[in-house]
Amino acid sequence: MAVEGWAADVRAPWRSTFGLAGLVSILLALATLVIGIAAYEVTHEALEQQLDHRTAIETRALLAEPGADRLAAIAGAIRRREAEQSVDHLGYLLVDAEGRRVAGSLDGSVPASLGYEEFYRHGDARVSQSLTSAVPGGGRLVVAADRAALEETDRDLLLLFATAFGAMLLLGAGGAWTVGAVTRARLNRIDRAALAIIGGDLTARMPVDGSGSEFDRVSGTLNRMLDRIGALMENLRQVSSDVAHDLRTPLTRLSHRLDEARTAADPARAQALEAAATQAEELLDIFAALLRISEIEAMGVRRHFRRVALGDAVGDLVESYRPDAEASGHFLLDEVDRDVSLVGDRRLLLQMVSNLLDNALRHTPAGTTVRVVLDTLDGKVGLRVLDDGPGIDPEEAQRLFQRFSRSERSRSTAGHGLGLALVRAIAIAHHGDAGIERGTGFGVVVHLGQPRTDDPSR
Amino acid sequence: MRILIIEDDAETRAFVARGLGEAGHHVATAADGRDGLFQATEGGFDAIVVDRMLPGIDGLALVRMLRAGGTVTPILMLTAMGGIEDRVEGLDGGADDYLVKPFAFSELAARLNALGRRPVAQAEPRKLAVADIELDLERRTVRRGGRKVVLPPREFALLAELMGNPRRVMTRTMLLERVWDFDFDPKTNIVETHLSRLRSKLNAGFEEDAIETIRGAGYMIRGG
Repeated sequence: MAVEGWAADVRAPWRSTFGLAGLVSILLALATLVIGIAAYEVTHEALEQQLDHRTAIETRALLAEPGADRLAAIAGAIRRREAEQSVDHLGYLLVDAEGRRVAGSLDGSVPASLGYEEFYRHGDARVSQSLTSAVPGGGRLVVAADRAALEETDRDLLLLFATAFGAMLLLGAGGAWTVGAVTRARLNRIDRAALAIIGGDLTARMPVDGSGSEFDRVSGTLNRMLDRIGALMENLRQVSSDVAHDLRTPLTRLSHRLDEARTAADPARAQALEAAATQAEELLDIFAALLRISEIEAMGVRRHFRRVALGDAVGDLVESYRPDAEASGHFLLDEVDRDVSLVGDRRLLLQMVSNLLDNALRHTPAGTTVRVVLDTLDGKVGLRVLDDGPGIDPEEAQRLFQRFSRSERSRSTAGHGLGLALVRAIAIAHHGDAGIERGTGFGVVVHLGQPRTDDPSR
Repeated sequence: MRILIIEDDAETRAFVARGLGEAGHHVATAADGRDGLFQATEGGFDAIVVDRMLPGIDGLALVRMLRAGGTVTPILMLTAMGGIEDRVEGLDGGADDYLVKPFAFSELAARLNALGRRPVAQAEPRKLAVADIELDLERRTVRRGGRKVVLPPREFALLAELMGNPRRVMTRTMLLERVWDFDFDPKTNIVETHLSRLRSKLNAGFEEDAIETIRGAGYMIRGG
């Protein structure tokens, strides 16, 4: 059933309220992550460039140091700078053309190529960003910037983004849960009201809390629609009740007149009057059956439902039909589980079984076996009345539950084609349905449910 | 019996009054709920027939008012509806029996007889005896002229219903309601088949048929 606990068996979880809100929060978190990574990359790159820029300026300054002996001039400048213990964490290494250290305390070997390079420091096993340049007249100058500050900034950035991502996820999940819970609670109330209306309570209305929210607007619209349906239903009931009263009254009079005339008339005329009376009664029977189907379909009968020991009732009914079945040469098999019980209308349920038995016995030839099976499976009561008679055309079978539809095999026998329509109406009133059972011969299967009392939000 | 008929349709009212008068009853009539209530509270009736739909005060409200006012006269309600909810509401409201229009006059007469001569609040009898038949409701045994007759449950219930209403015609519909709890007419002749089986068992070895068939009306236990 589509309405059954709609969190429990949602087929597309992302289309439920929780799912949608959850999806949005995950997308937001992912967006945060992407922005974070981009910001991290850009910042990291900018800082590296800044380091490179510093080493480049320093290198240029050292190479521009005045003096005829280039190496000695630069070495002097390096020594001055190292003595100053400047705070900008730059390290120097100056080698002559043979690769011997001339100045600088940078602990490591000169990179093989010129240009920017990661510089491995032997002393503290750390990596610096270095720029290696050739000194005019022979020798190499290495200026290295400490990456400690860069790494620290990277760590801070990562921590910041991880925190933001986590907070985003938490906020998103919380938001999703809150939005989902609020929406679901509201939709559940609407669902319950709708179920009550389906269940026959046409006075039920969608909840409106006066907040003017979208839910209120939809509920208001649905309620106006329900008012209109209610008015139409009332109209229909009024019409059928008027038809019942206005048409049945003259028919009743006719029937009474014929009744009286028959007792006074001579035998020949009495016979004609009897035939006329039978016709009048048949018309009245059709009326009664139609009105009964309408009354059952209006679901008002559910107000009088109570627990029925259906197994015993159907078992007794089958036994009551046995003499007639045997007299007409049928075999009647009783496969009724006597313990089956159900909340419903005892007389309607009896009429349903009786209709099915009447059909099976009247429309099949002598020698046919008719089985009556009643059992419970998964809380649903199943009733089957099956025969191994000639059966009917499967296409025809689909129409049998409509009013006034009769199968070819029953054309020759009496009936109005209302029996199975009544069976289905009674089954639906009992939260079930009726259909054709495929197999040998002809069979009708009726499923009867228990009224739904469970809360859909559970 | 003195019978009050409250029915707005003049033709039906006249038909019922004529029939009941011919059957020897004293009949009073009312054409609307107000007049009906007035006459009914005056008292002195053995049975009241009320239509469900009446101008003025409707049938159901009328029955409720009468019952609230302490009237215990048996009431039979007539209705032209599909008949499921009306039946329950009518009986809950205090009506004793219920008949869906249209009805054969014999049906109404039989039901009024059953209502009007209902024994006053008597403890459920354990044994019934009519003519030479004895029926023990507790032991579920039947004897005719001292000879034991074995009956299946439905045939026993059928005989008990007939014997519990001696001198009254029980119609097919009444038997369907009381023995089978049917408020509809099955296409299969359940009543006839069971009666004929019951008869053949009861009558085996006896000259006289224990159950009388009243043509066009119903069945009655003989010698009640």
